[in-house]
Amino acid sequence: MVVDIIISTLINGSIYSILAIGFSLVFGVARIINIAHTAFYMLAAFCIYAGTNSFGLHPVLAMGAAIIFVTILGLASYKLIIEKIRVHPAATIIATIALAMIFQEIMILNFGAEFLSVPVLVEGFTVVFGVKITYQQVFTFIFMVILLISVWFLLMKTKLGLAIRATAQDRETANLMGMNESMIALVTIGISVGFAGFAGAIVIPLTVIHPHMWLSPLIIMMAVVVLGGLGSIKGSIIGAFIMGLTEAIIVFLLPMGSFLKGSVALTILIIVLIIKPEGLFGVSIEGE
Amino acid sequence: MSILVYLRRLFVTIKEEIIILPTKVITILFILFLLVLPVILPDSYLMRVLILAAIFAMLTASWDFLSGFAGQLNFGHALFFGVGAYSSALFNLLLKIPPAGSIPLSGLVAVLAGLIIGFPCLRLKGIYLALTTIAFPIILTGVVNALPGITGGELGLSGLDKLTGSRIGDYYIVTLLMLGSCTVMYKLTQSNVGIIFHAIREDEVSLKVSGINTTKYKLLAFCLSGLFAGIAGGVYAHFMRIAGPSTLSVSTSFTIIIYAVFGGVCTIYGSVAAVYILFPLMEVFQLLPQFRTLFFAAIVLIILLYMPSGFIQWIIDKIEKTCSRCGHKNHALRKICRFCERPFKYY
Amino acid sequence: MNISILRRIGVLFLIAGIFFSWSCSKAGDSNVIKIGVIGPMQYSQGKGHWNGAELAMEEINSSGGIKVGNEMKKIELIKADSNEIASITDAANAMERLITQEKVNFVIGGFRTEAVLAMQDIAMDAKTIFISVGPASAELNKRVKEDYDRYEYFFRGSPLNSSYLVKNSFIHLGYIAAVLKKTLNLPAIKVAVVAEKVQWVEPVIAAAKSTIPAMGMELAGIWQPSQTASDVTAELSAIQRSGAHIIFTVFSSSVGVTFVRQAGELKIPALMTGINVEAARFDFWETTEGKCEYVITSANYLENITINETSKKFIDAYRKKYGEMPSYTAFTHSAISNLLRTAIEKAGTLDADALIPILENLKVETSSGTYKVDENHDSIWGPGYSIIMAGQWQDGSFKGIWPNNWKASDNAPAISYEGVAPVKFPPWMIEAYQ
Repeated sequence: MVVDIIISTLINGSIYSILAIGFSLVFGVARIINIAHTAFYMLAAFCIYAGTNSFGLHPVLAMGAAIIFVTILGLASYKLIIEKIRVHPAATIIATIALAMIFQEIMILNFGAEFLSVPVLVEGFTVVFGVKITYQQVFTFIFMVILLISVWFLLMKTKLGLAIRATAQDRETANLMGMNESMIALVTIGISVGFAGFAGAIVIPLTVIHPHMWLSPLIIMMAVVVLGGLGSIKGSIIGAFIMGLTEAIIVFLLPMGSFLKGSVALTILIIVLIIKPEGLFGVSIEGE
Repeated sequence: MSILVYLRRLFVTIKEEIIILPTKVITILFILFLLVLPVILPDSYLMRVLILAAIFAMLTASWDFLSGFAGQLNFGHALFFGVGAYSSALFNLLLKIPPAGSIPLSGLVAVLAGLIIGFPCLRLKGIYLALTTIAFPIILTGVVNALPGITGGELGLSGLDKLTGSRIGDYYIVTLLMLGSCTVMYKLTQSNVGIIFHAIREDEVSLKVSGINTTKYKLLAFCLSGLFAGIAGGVYAHFMRIAGPSTLSVSTSFTIIIYAVFGGVCTIYGSVAAVYILFPLMEVFQLLPQFRTLFFAAIVLIILLYMPSGFIQWIIDKIEKTCSRCGHKNHALRKICRFCERPFKYY
Repeated sequence: MNISILRRIGVLFLIAGIFFSWSCSKAGDSNVIKIGVIGPMQYSQGKGHWNGAELAMEEINSSGGIKVGNEMKKIELIKADSNEIASITDAANAMERLITQEKVNFVIGGFRTEAVLAMQDIAMDAKTIFISVGPASAELNKRVKEDYDRYEYFFRGSPLNSSYLVKNSFIHLGYIAAVLKKTLNLPAIKVAVVAEKVQWVEPVIAAAKSTIPAMGMELAGIWQPSQTASDVTAELSAIQRSGAHIIFTVFSSSVGVTFVRQAGELKIPALMTGINVEAARFDFWETTEGKCEYVITSANYLENITINETSKKFIDAYRKKYGEMPSYTAFTHSAISNLLRTAIEKAGTLDADALIPILENLKVETSSGTYKVDENHDSIWGPGYSIIMAGQWQDGSFKGIWPNNWKASDNAPAISYEGVAPVKFPPWMIEAYQ
């Protein structure tokens, strides 16, 4: 039982944290709440489907193509739409909602509102401490660790990372110090959307693709990010594992109530916020 | 004799204050249109569309009241709507209270909901508040699913009493209720309370420094907004005769916000006009059902990019000018201000 | 400049107004029978509704139409996208438009119960006959029982109501358990119940708690994931831990796909049976990348089984026209060409009040068996009427495995449908228990 819970937490937590890091990074650096974040995750899934089914690409190639395509689309929508209104947070939220709806509708027009699927990269499963795990889940976890290490490397060891961190801390000063703030925002958007596409690409072989699939991870992702504190990467990762743990505990200890996992996770979020309004590790954005 | 005086005063008011300003003329014509429409065109489908438009207008205006004026960004406004719908359904089905009682009561329950979510949200600001408020209706949906014996689960509660029994009756009740509640909200926002709301949105710290209890006013905004949204929910439940989990859905919350943005946030009248334009337009688009949502979303993006203060406000700016010297409004064709006679072409 | 903008806005409103009033007012044509087909037209369920109805219309119109009294009337179908999965408001508006603007004689379709409850009220207000094809909830017919004078215009077309569906799938469970016990020499069978969390499942859970022990099996546990869960591996490992031999599923939405997919990936040594609406679809093999092998579910139309001549003809015509097996919402075909046609020809009129007594007493062969309604206008289940078959995914095709020598009671004659196949067990399951 304990092993089950730990493994389930690790796998779900890693998926949530990939999504949450991207979302949080964009907020931290560019102060953009990107509701369409998980819509990019959905788009990546559809790209892989189209790539493998219509163009007959190898799944790995399709994955790569999907991540690149989604990243370009993300950058384009930032340049064409979001950049013009990003000074108004509310307008940004609404514009990204509209953007997500547009993506969803275009997918419905193209693929219909059916359930679709793509093949897994490696078939089969392995047994760890008596618990069955699919290779795809093992991959997800490994990829996530690699991704985390590379994010850490990027942020801590490169000049770009320094610029990103500086902008996240104080945009105006960073700008005054000669950092190209809008360029950094653009790069961050690219990284973030790329993460969303990546998450879509590795998660999707285990589940179903449909045009509304962006809504439920969106809610959990936002809960994770708010819980960990907006803009904090450490917070996002810890928040993701807290949510994963909560869900796993509910599924294993309360089998009749496993539908409640979303509600309980959100209730924990609200309780934390009442005690600590800026989340666990959030930066205070008051006075901006 | 005195009647003549009143008539004359009325005539002067109309001539001097209303005819002169296109927005006032449009408002009066719009209200008249709503009131006489069932008499000239008693079409039950058209009335149905307008009844639902009135319900959503009330709901959208209540969102604008809370989020536009008081600046408490609420992305889970469906909570109040759903609470209103479910509570009036429960009052009606379990306690057999007729709609005339269950709808006001559901408004009060929604006020309670406003207080319950208002208290924790007092500590949250801006984006944290927006993201947290999304959670409330989802949690309530979980509760609804967990208690199917009371709430009917995913089927909802059905078989409620009809609102009045006739379509025309429903129409007048809902339309008058909408006009009344939106007038109340509009007048409130134009009063001192409205000024305080503006100030809370713009700079809460300064307001606190001035010795104003912002907590009280924020809770007031949550409660009043909840009241009107709850009434809208109650009316919706009795009109559709079902209160189901769809009233609590994320898309309900998002739709309300989109209406408000289309009309122009922080106006009240913009929300009403937006719903009365977009809701029937969506019905016309039934002819091309697959493009409806796409069109809806694209409109919003265009509005945000090119008319940041909303479509309605954009039109108003085109048909009215404000004098830069005395601050009075004039219609767009005037060359000089009607009060201080300052020419417009110089600015 | 300002005048021109004013004018433009005026023209815009004028056009919108004209467009709206045009879409509001369409003259009725009394020489045709107008049938409204309402459903979520962007989803497969709505496509099933429409395809079935379209096929019926083509068949009837090419043979001259339906005889009403002395004249032959052709059928005109009106498509209404209810958008009911996203919005109940839209669904109710679509129903109102069908009835008051298009002035249809009959309405068929519907899918999501919350929406159908709202649509039902509108159809009843207008005293229009509404045959539901899609929702399984018994709630709809309870209303007929409680307030007959108001709800008499409502009839259940397909599927059978949920309590019959459940009863029938417990019979499937019993059959499979018996075969399993015999094949693998198991002393006792353990059953895990996995049901999505929706209201109609509540009685299933209650029934499972009492029925499964009564059938001589052990209940290993009950799991209730949400309808849209995208990861059920936690539930799956808990189920495997419980040692269940059979997983009794009750799914109607996307979680049904996810569950089957992940169970197949993890090779859980248990056989799935019960209700899984998605699994009964012809393209489920592709949707699950072949992971649905050995999954058993309730089914309305199966390639290898012939229920009756009507059903065979319908399935052949449908496959010829659309190149796929019909989904259960394609029962709209039978609703038009069997139920409505027979009733209208008998009555010689389109008047709803004259048609109701005829529909109430109608006993007619349809594509899913013999159709007859009880006093609640609910279609009757049982031997001699409609029953629900069970199908198993075997090697890429969905094969009927039940009824196979089924006896409704001890002295009843055994029922087997033509072409029924034997049940197969996954090799990893045989391996695990031998």
